[in-house]
Amino acid sequence: MATNSQSVDLVDGDVVRSFARAALLAALISATAYVSIPIPISPVPFTLQVLFVCLAGLVLGPVWGSVAMILYLAAGAIGIPVFSGGNGGIGHLFGHTGGYLWSYPVAAFVIGAMVHRGRTLKDVSAVSIPVLAVSLLAGLTLIYGIGVPWLAWVLEIGLAEAVSLGAAPFIPLDLVKLAAAAAIVKSGRIDTV
Amino acid sequence: MLEFRSVDHEIGDLAVLTDISLEIGDGEFVLLAGANGSGKTTLLGHCNGLLTPTSGSVLVDGTPVEDDLVAARTAVGMVFQQPRDQFVAATVGEDVAFGPENLGLERAEIDDRVQRALEAVRLEGRETERIQTLSGGEQSRVAIAGALAMEPTHLVLDEPFTGLDEPARQSVLEHLRSLSAAGTGIIVATHDLRDLHAIADRIIAMHDGKIALDDEPERALASLEALDVRVPADVENQETRA
Amino acid sequence: MLTYEPDDTLAHRLDPRSKLAVQIGFAASALAHTTPHALVVLTGLALGLLWSARVPLRQALYAYRYALPLLALAPLISAITLGAPWFDPRAAIAPALASYRVLLIILVSAAYIRSTPVRDSRAAIQRTVPGKPGQLLGMGVALVFRFLPLLRQDLETIRDASDARLGTERSLLERVVHIGTVSLERAFIRADRLSLALQARCFAWNPTLPPLALTRRDAPAFALAGVLVVTVLL
Repeated sequence: MATNSQSVDLVDGDVVRSFARAALLAALISATAYVSIPIPISPVPFTLQVLFVCLAGLVLGPVWGSVAMILYLAAGAIGIPVFSGGNGGIGHLFGHTGGYLWSYPVAAFVIGAMVHRGRTLKDVSAVSIPVLAVSLLAGLTLIYGIGVPWLAWVLEIGLAEAVSLGAAPFIPLDLVKLAAAAAIVKSGRIDTV
Repeated sequence: MLEFRSVDHEIGDLAVLTDISLEIGDGEFVLLAGANGSGKTTLLGHCNGLLTPTSGSVLVDGTPVEDDLVAARTAVGMVFQQPRDQFVAATVGEDVAFGPENLGLERAEIDDRVQRALEAVRLEGRETERIQTLSGGEQSRVAIAGALAMEPTHLVLDEPFTGLDEPARQSVLEHLRSLSAAGTGIIVATHDLRDLHAIADRIIAMHDGKIALDDEPERALASLEALDVRVPADVENQETRA
Repeated sequence: MLTYEPDDTLAHRLDPRSKLAVQIGFAASALAHTTPHALVVLTGLALGLLWSARVPLRQALYAYRYALPLLALAPLISAITLGAPWFDPRAAIAPALASYRVLLIILVSAAYIRSTPVRDSRAAIQRTVPGKPGQLLGMGVALVFRFLPLLRQDLETIRDASDARLGTERSLLERVVHIGTVSLERAFIRADRLSLALQARCFAWNPTLPPLALTRRDAPAFALAGVLVVTVLL
């Protein structure tokens, strides 16, 4: 059967490349649900989700970074086991941790936008430490700024209780992840398109 | 018909390909030999417009590749190294259907093509299996089926035997032989010519980005050693290559 | 872990779109109501939905056990007061009901997961979200599903190698930098290879979509979803 090549609307090569990277970053953040790093002092499992949310914005920029996070949420919504604990289901997006999940694309977008200042990506290894620090802290603030009130609302608990359940135990380790994200891009080993 | 006309490919100041001119007819079984870094993979990338020449042009069936990328990519099916990274779906049937789906074919035609492609590599009836659970040799065959489902006139394979054990290697080889017998042109880039030279029509050897040799196998073999290509004489020396 | 299993249950015969609609309706209704009365009705419905896909309740609870400690802690922590009487059980009632409805929302997904192959979900996305975003979203989830086992293996290998070699002698920060760098490098090498393969196979904006068809059976499911959404206003 003859195929009419005119009717096939090929995806542009640059888009395919960015899309493939976004999809694999989504798969990588999904994989963190299974791989926690053992640390002796903490009762909280140490997972790398926040690290890769930050890296999505830093390395893929605001557009493809948030696409990566949206792919992650969509994969979880249709039941691929990508959320913490190794499970999926659209219920998670409306459950107690839904606020954190929804915040990921927003955080990746804001980090990407603050670092790259537009759609054309910069060489992140050349971005100054203060800019990186401010952007990453803004991202983390968003994650908790959306995640904690959501937690309080859905579980009908006070904000203080939500902070003690859903923020305080995690923030010290999250700061380590932010520092790691900055160090990873400063090392220059990951090229940004 | 695949035609290179004075193709140069430069990356910065580095000349990866220099003045490549060659014609490969339909149905030919060609071995593209050469050491790592000789430019084989780059040359393959020009066959279907994945790369753009710095100068010169590549034509598929008389049409410059960049004028009709879809036609070029349909006519020249490509199987890359590392099949694990080229699957786009988790199950065999869904992955093999990807190419024909992109061509916008009717569903019945797509199902037919998937069926035929899987039959060609003897994986019929295994559409619903997870690719992740298949052996290395089976994964290679799924990758070949994915290219075949486009119904190409030429099938291009880059180092198809990397990481395969001997039985898997023989099985892939066997399928290439029967595809060739059925009329599909085969182009295999490899640095390991064992068993292949006997079924090829032609050996093209690359050296430093140039075509160093283009001849029928019997005559080509004698000159290959000088080009750092492992010639089949040292079959005994079967170190595995990662 | 919950995964798709081929079967012939009621849920298996429904279109993914109507099943997603029911879940969204269920979540909306549960988020709006935490009265004991409403929760009794929602519990019945949740059990019915699990039954429709033949998911044993125990299996669903086990799969989602990671969510349980936090859901149990929420009412407890609310009952604690910073002065006499130190522990006030009445303050725990509202959070307990709220936690319970969250559990129901999460549990209901198990029915969808057991009855829907990823291929159908991908088709549902591509048919619901219009144009290019729908195509990227649909292909993207298929790719996440395909690459998740590979990247999980990468990540485990990198972590174990780093633990074995350097153990806890290196600081936590150094370990995280190492794991993050190497895993992202590998993922991007895979992505760049994948990108060539996608192009070679004519990755297009307008492919033939995977087959999917709504049938009359889906009408009651959509009606149920509609009723659930309307209950938000009650």
